[in-house]
Amino acid sequence: MQPKKDPNPNAPKELGKPLAPTTQVTRVRFSPDGKTLAAACFDGKIRRWDTSAKDPTELPLISGHNGWVTGLAFAGNALFSTDSWGRLIASDVTAKEPKLWTVEAAHDGWARTVAIAPVDSPLATCGKDGFVRLWNRETGKKFNEFETKTDVLSVCFSADGKSVFAGDLFGIVREFEVSSGKVTRTFAVKELHKLDRIQDVGGVKNLLLAGDGKTLFVAGAEPKTGGFVQCVPLIVAFDLATGKPSSQYKGANDNEGYVTDMAWHANGFVAFTTSGQPGQGKFHLWKPDAATAFFSGGKLPNCHSIAIHPDGDKVAVSATNANSSGNGRVKGAGGDYPENTSPIQMWSVPKV
Amino acid sequence: MPRNPLCTPTDHRVTRRRFLGSAASAVGLSSLANPLVAEELKKQRRQVLFVWLDGGMSQLESWDPKPNTPFGGPFRPIQTAVPGIQISELLPQCAKQMKHLAIVRSVSTQDDSHSAGVERIQRGDPKNRGVTYPLLGSAVAKLVGPGDSGLPPYIWVKPMSGGFIYKDAGFLGPKYGALALGDGKPPENLLRPKAITAEEDNERNDLRKLLDKNYAAQRRTELTEANSYAYEMAAQLQKKIELFDLSKLPQKDQDRYGTHDLGRHMLLARRLLEEGVTFVKVTSYGWDTHGDHFNGAASLHPKFDKPFAAMIEDLADRGMLDNVLVIACAEFGRTPRINGHIGRDHWPQAWSVAMAGRGIKKGGVVAGKTNDKGTDVPNDPVDIGGLFHTWFRALGIDPTDAQYGNAGQPLPIAHEDMKAVKEVLA
Repeated sequence: MQPKKDPNPNAPKELGKPLAPTTQVTRVRFSPDGKTLAAACFDGKIRRWDTSAKDPTELPLISGHNGWVTGLAFAGNALFSTDSWGRLIASDVTAKEPKLWTVEAAHDGWARTVAIAPVDSPLATCGKDGFVRLWNRETGKKFNEFETKTDVLSVCFSADGKSVFAGDLFGIVREFEVSSGKVTRTFAVKELHKLDRIQDVGGVKNLLLAGDGKTLFVAGAEPKTGGFVQCVPLIVAFDLATGKPSSQYKGANDNEGYVTDMAWHANGFVAFTTSGQPGQGKFHLWKPDAATAFFSGGKLPNCHSIAIHPDGDKVAVSATNANSSGNGRVKGAGGDYPENTSPIQMWSVPKV
Repeated sequence: MPRNPLCTPTDHRVTRRRFLGSAASAVGLSSLANPLVAEELKKQRRQVLFVWLDGGMSQLESWDPKPNTPFGGPFRPIQTAVPGIQISELLPQCAKQMKHLAIVRSVSTQDDSHSAGVERIQRGDPKNRGVTYPLLGSAVAKLVGPGDSGLPPYIWVKPMSGGFIYKDAGFLGPKYGALALGDGKPPENLLRPKAITAEEDNERNDLRKLLDKNYAAQRRTELTEANSYAYEMAAQLQKKIELFDLSKLPQKDQDRYGTHDLGRHMLLARRLLEEGVTFVKVTSYGWDTHGDHFNGAASLHPKFDKPFAAMIEDLADRGMLDNVLVIACAEFGRTPRINGHIGRDHWPQAWSVAMAGRGIKKGGVVAGKTNDKGTDVPNDPVDIGGLFHTWFRALGIDPTDAQYGNAGQPLPIAHEDMKAVKEVLA
């Protein structure tokens, strides 16, 4: 009997069974050597897997955070992580005692994320407190801060490390000069924000720089409502030479949710996840010169993060367990009431 | 008082007298001009501010945080002005007012749908006797009366449209319905058009009253009564039109309350309470955060926190907390479990209600508790009937004694199998 022919041989394929953290995950990231996958979790822990073999094996947890772990960034073996109570921690993922240093109050409350400069040693964090802060990667010492007076949801560095981009709740991205702290220009994507009754909805959920450093991707969604966050995913690409929009990805309908995470693939495309509503979240692969993604799929609903393996041959996508859409009330047959979880599925990446 | 569908137009005069206020009638309206009498009447006021967060505010991000637990979410707890009591960091201004607040953390109600839950909670979920009970505002308007303000006893400040919402009154009859001020604005066409002189306007109203009287004398219905009553209310509001101009208030007040809908509406509510309105309901919509709940809460909760705390502070400063019972409530809380859309769904099993003011224990108090994960109330859950007992007692009404009369049928004013939360009563 002939094996069944794959109708779409170049589409991503699931690689093995999903990893199964026992809580929900906000971010997944591979270490630069590709040997470790880290997941930032709702229980204030960082889970790790050794991904050097075909079947990943779980490594000891990294503790020390409160609330949710919200941001992850690797530099060599050093992993930098933020949490929703404002703490910033540096850990050596290869060490038995991984903690390198801790900043107790990097932000007043929710530190949204952390980013690494491509050159020299700065780290940038941003927070709900309206600040972008710069830290020495080796010591954890703060050396500069910039205030936006708005909730700063996302941050990334320019390719030369001389600027930091910070995206806020209102769809505004400010480019700060690292040395002076001055805002040198702004990029506005006002479609990313909506005032729904008294709720400010949306914002610049993610920022990403293309591999050549010439394009800035500003992502979130066009919100239609607050409570359910019905929204159409939107990524606007800005040409950094001109400061003008050069292309965009826009979802087809408001069930697709917002862009929850992005990563740049060396082959010239953006991998990103969408939250979905209800359960329509997917992961997507998009070439910035195209109107649509060349792949949109994934069988797990409500995707929250994506990481590309340094080899470029696979991605890790975190989602939420099946039947988790609006399942807050559901109790088990025995009256049990477990947390939702975030299966992390590896997928092959097609050759493009 | 039993209702008689065959009443005569004379009853309307009684109705108008009631509207003008029993206290005012007793002393004579002209006495209101006497500052001493007016001050004495103010001291006797019994009023309610009922803040309704429609859709359901999360107890975990407000009055009952469970930090670093599986369902605790991302936010920190903060210490309040009362040692030992912590609430969510999203309510920092309320934390400063904790000495005036009482929180019931053991609320456990029966309905997890908006459509049934809103009315079920606001009607106090009494035993089913085949009648439609009044919402709390109508109940208080009936049981406490209109006071000395000369304004409608039940005013509802809400976003979007307004009007006369007679259905709130249930079996009490339309005159106990709510006058809803859409977006905090006075009813449309309230003011006399410029093209009509005051004399012509009086003539028009006299003609209307005559036609109403003739119509009602032949075939009285509850709606004709409500119609007349609405005109009376509008006439009273005409005399107080300056109440609606918030721009004349100090900028500091507007900043403290906020310029968003809820802030503006709370500031108007304060003015209505200052004028002596018996029951003011302020509704804020959009709290049903099934998706991206925590970013939603980060935006929404501070917009409740500032005006609610400012209101408590202002009422305390003015000595009005001795008269005004303040309640912050919704149709249910939100699920401990965080769903796949990073939202919280509906959870009537274990949630919180906050209150302050008249009849409520001073110094800051928390009554009842949920279990470690916030999923349930292990001991002495408080249903809405118990809260109605609590609120009526705070207003000086004994719910085991007072009854409604519905066409000769005596009806308890609160669920007779439930009792007040004594820990929060003064």
